[in-house]
Amino acid sequence: MPFNAPLALLGLLFVPAVVAMYLLRLRRTPTVVPSTLLWQRLAADVEANAPWQKLRRSLLFLLQLLLVVILALLAARPFVERPAGLARDLVVIIDTSASMGATDVPPDRLSAAREAAKEALKDLPAGGKVSVIEAGRTARIVATGTSDIGRVRQAIDSIRPTVGRGDLGDALALAQQLAVQSGDAEILVATDAALAVPPTTKVDAPIRVLRVGDPKGSRNQAIVALAVRTAPSAVTRSVFISVANFDLEYATRRLEVWGDDHLIETRTIPIDAQQRADVIVDDVPAEAATIEVRLVAADDADPDARPDLLAADDRAWAVVPPQRTRNVLVVGKGDPYLETALSYLPNSRLFGLTPAEYPAGAVRKDGTSWDLIIFEGYVPATLPATPILAIAPPISSGLGEVGGVDANPAIGSLGTEEPILRFVDLSTTHIAEARHLTLPAWARAVIPGTKSAPLLYAGVRAGLPAAVLAFEPRQSDLPLQVAFPILVANLTGELLGGSAAPTAAVRPGDPVTLTVPPGAIGLRVVRPDGTATDLIPGAAGGTSVTFTQSDLLGVYTATPIAAPAASPAASGRPSEAPSGSPTASGTSSAPSPAPSGAQGVDPNQPIRFAVDLFDVDESAIAPGAPRVLEDLGKPQPSPGASGAPGGGNSAVDTRPNARDEVWIPIVFIVLVALCVEWALYHRDAVLRGWRGVTGRLGRLRRPAGNG
Amino acid sequence: MAMIEDGPNRPAESGGRPIRPAFLPSDLDPTVFDEGFLRQLERLLLLMRSPVRGGLKGGRRSVKRGQSVEFADFRDYALGDDLRQLDWNVLARLEKLFVKLFVEEEDVTITILLDGSASMATGRPDKLQFAKRAAAALGYIGLASEDRVAVSVLGGRTARRRIALRGSGRIFRLLTELSSIQPADGPTDLVAAARHAAAQLSGRGVVILLSDLLDPAADRVIRELASTRSELIVLHVLSPDELDPPLEGDLRLVDSETAEGIDVTADLATIDAYKGRLAAWKEGFAQLAARRQATYVDLSTEVPLNELIFAELRRRRVVA
Repeated sequence: MPFNAPLALLGLLFVPAVVAMYLLRLRRTPTVVPSTLLWQRLAADVEANAPWQKLRRSLLFLLQLLLVVILALLAARPFVERPAGLARDLVVIIDTSASMGATDVPPDRLSAAREAAKEALKDLPAGGKVSVIEAGRTARIVATGTSDIGRVRQAIDSIRPTVGRGDLGDALALAQQLAVQSGDAEILVATDAALAVPPTTKVDAPIRVLRVGDPKGSRNQAIVALAVRTAPSAVTRSVFISVANFDLEYATRRLEVWGDDHLIETRTIPIDAQQRADVIVDDVPAEAATIEVRLVAADDADPDARPDLLAADDRAWAVVPPQRTRNVLVVGKGDPYLETALSYLPNSRLFGLTPAEYPAGAVRKDGTSWDLIIFEGYVPATLPATPILAIAPPISSGLGEVGGVDANPAIGSLGTEEPILRFVDLSTTHIAEARHLTLPAWARAVIPGTKSAPLLYAGVRAGLPAAVLAFEPRQSDLPLQVAFPILVANLTGELLGGSAAPTAAVRPGDPVTLTVPPGAIGLRVVRPDGTATDLIPGAAGGTSVTFTQSDLLGVYTATPIAAPAASPAASGRPSEAPSGSPTASGTSSAPSPAPSGAQGVDPNQPIRFAVDLFDVDESAIAPGAPRVLEDLGKPQPSPGASGAPGGGNSAVDTRPNARDEVWIPIVFIVLVALCVEWALYHRDAVLRGWRGVTGRLGRLRRPAGNG
Repeated sequence: MAMIEDGPNRPAESGGRPIRPAFLPSDLDPTVFDEGFLRQLERLLLLMRSPVRGGLKGGRRSVKRGQSVEFADFRDYALGDDLRQLDWNVLARLEKLFVKLFVEEEDVTITILLDGSASMATGRPDKLQFAKRAAAALGYIGLASEDRVAVSVLGGRTARRRIALRGSGRIFRLLTELSSIQPADGPTDLVAAARHAAAQLSGRGVVILLSDLLDPAADRVIRELASTRSELIVLHVLSPDELDPPLEGDLRLVDSETAEGIDVTADLATIDAYKGRLAAWKEGFAQLAARRQATYVDLSTEVPLNELIFAELRRRRVVA
């Protein structure tokens, strides 16, 4: 039997040492007995004065000699050889994409992949080198060209699952770089082959796929979209959720919507195989800052049961857009009805100008633009690049053609799905006169009128929302009805963009650019697991930082780090109160925006953003075909086929054998020998104890039997 | 009356010396007996297996017919017979002369041979101490039965005979004699000492040997004593350490008499072999005693003295 460390056989020199110790171990304890009469013959039987006789009879001694020999053999690391099944230079790629967290193979696919990779290392030829690449969102080398198998195993064990999208193409390109330096290389890919992005990188080495996962393991339902939108009234919010069933069977799941750790709503949703189900939850509480959606099992009987095979896509988070104060400029003579209705709008400040003051007085001191400009009976020659609401435009402009005045126009048939008309009842509304408008191409008719002249239309013009109302409110009885403030709220809500901007979710691993508020020197970002990272702008005076550790799913919170000597004035709060409402006299003051933070948001408020998987490709966890990857590499060479072109098989023929160290049976023998030695050494004590117990039991039984 | 268990039999357990009764002589070892034990001994009589001859009348029946009140037999009247012994009732009924014979009661000599070799001074509890107590108890029984009690100590090659005592009033003298016995310094030739003791015996009686018999020729001791006209009772005294040696490991066993050493590896197999040999050794003595019409009783010094007297020796019919 060959040995990896034959020098360790020098340990056999301990054999004579053990013998010598036995020969020298003749010291006996003198013990006085009444007489040695009865011991005479026994002493002859167990004669111990002759050392060699003692050695001949002592089983313990023989066991100790055996142990020394076995331990010396063990230290010499004996092995047996067999043909190697892998190349000399092996590149192991472990797929760590989100789908590898599926639990169709216990405990999960990544663990199975790690074990499969470690098991495959047994076929490595003697002296073979191994590199290990973790294929997550980007490829990462965790071990480079080492022949220390223990270190390689350690590196493989250090690979942790991720919740992002995997990119095997990147890993294969990196493996190609490592393999190209060797004449006998092979790439081992441990993956479920459920590829979100099928790689196309060609590799100049054979690729062997260790596929993990149950081929029938597609049982997964996922939250694939989540958004929080503000209602057109800008008062309430709605949560839009999309759940997809990637299984081949119908599934029923329960959806839980949580707002700041308080359960808001629960719904049971049936989803057909390979279909989606959309859920809308209205009336999210105004105080909720974050929304979490959980997809749990529909069966309440077993709440701990795993509803599907992948847990990462069963939870999603969204951040409710912060309430922002909007600056609304009214240009006109002033309509008390309109001003009163506008004053009821939440989070908005009104400013007023007369047409004469426009546009010179409309320039804000902080350089920001208005959130909404309402032109009342006036249209400027040049339309501003802001959302616009035009009321009774006197002339044609970019907002639409005006063709005169219609008296007593009637209201046409109203659409029931029109969001601007939600909760608006115009059945008793009468209009004295209105501009005769022509519906432009960019708009939709909200309140249609007769003769194809819409009374209210809205749409997106030049990338900005715009709406035109054909009549002045005071030219109708609408201001006297409940519908008026509702209509104004819905209309301004859409124009202010409250319902148009979805809350964007960040993908795991994607960098996030965060703005450092004035007065702060940086941001402290707290991850969902509670770990915090301080981000300071690289350049002095920089206003943004980039956060890259977004590899966990959940809500991240960025808190400004205050400057050591920051003054209260630097907090960015508006330094003045909103100006008075514009009046018909046109004497309102010019708009005087705040010097900073004009958007009305406290800059010291924490900034939240959510990281969600929302990856249909990763949620589709059914294992794929290994051939997709294997075809990217060279075909596997067969040993002995030396006539193959390129002479590539010569490397196979000269490849060293794999070595299997046979230490396990040796250690087993050592343990058995130790147990036998222990039993022999303590047999007297054990037997004495046993006899003592049985003797006592016998004495206890005797009186009981006699009684 | 004090309980026997609280008496001198367990001085080591009580942790101190027992209270000496006021009537005991001052040179008596108070650990031997107390008053309660002595009172109980009075109720016992040494049971003899067969009537024995003796020079003095005692509380035992003799093969001779004599003057006691216990009827034994009739015989024809002969000239010179005491007419007071004539059975007048028979004469009146049958008109024949018969003389009534009565059992003659005689005293006997109880000789207690106490092994005083050095090996008897070993063991826990001490074998010599145990033998002294047993000898005192048996001697007191003999004295209370109006027998003559003699004590001989076997040591060296001789038997040192102490004074013979008679009457229960001499008990304290007996106890004093026993208290003064010390173990021999050198080796003891038990056979020679027993032969010497046998030579000192006169007439029939009872010989009680208290010994550990740890002598290569111990069987000859029994033969020598059994060959006398006295009835032999062998009380083989061994300590628990000898019955079940608490030895373990590689030892050098040193003989307490000869100081000779022997190397032994005391594992369980060796101890088991020792026990087997010990059992065969005692069995040999028992068979030898049976063949010689002697009584053999093996005793452990662990046996409480009251249990020895009231149970063990009664069971073996050594005492009644």
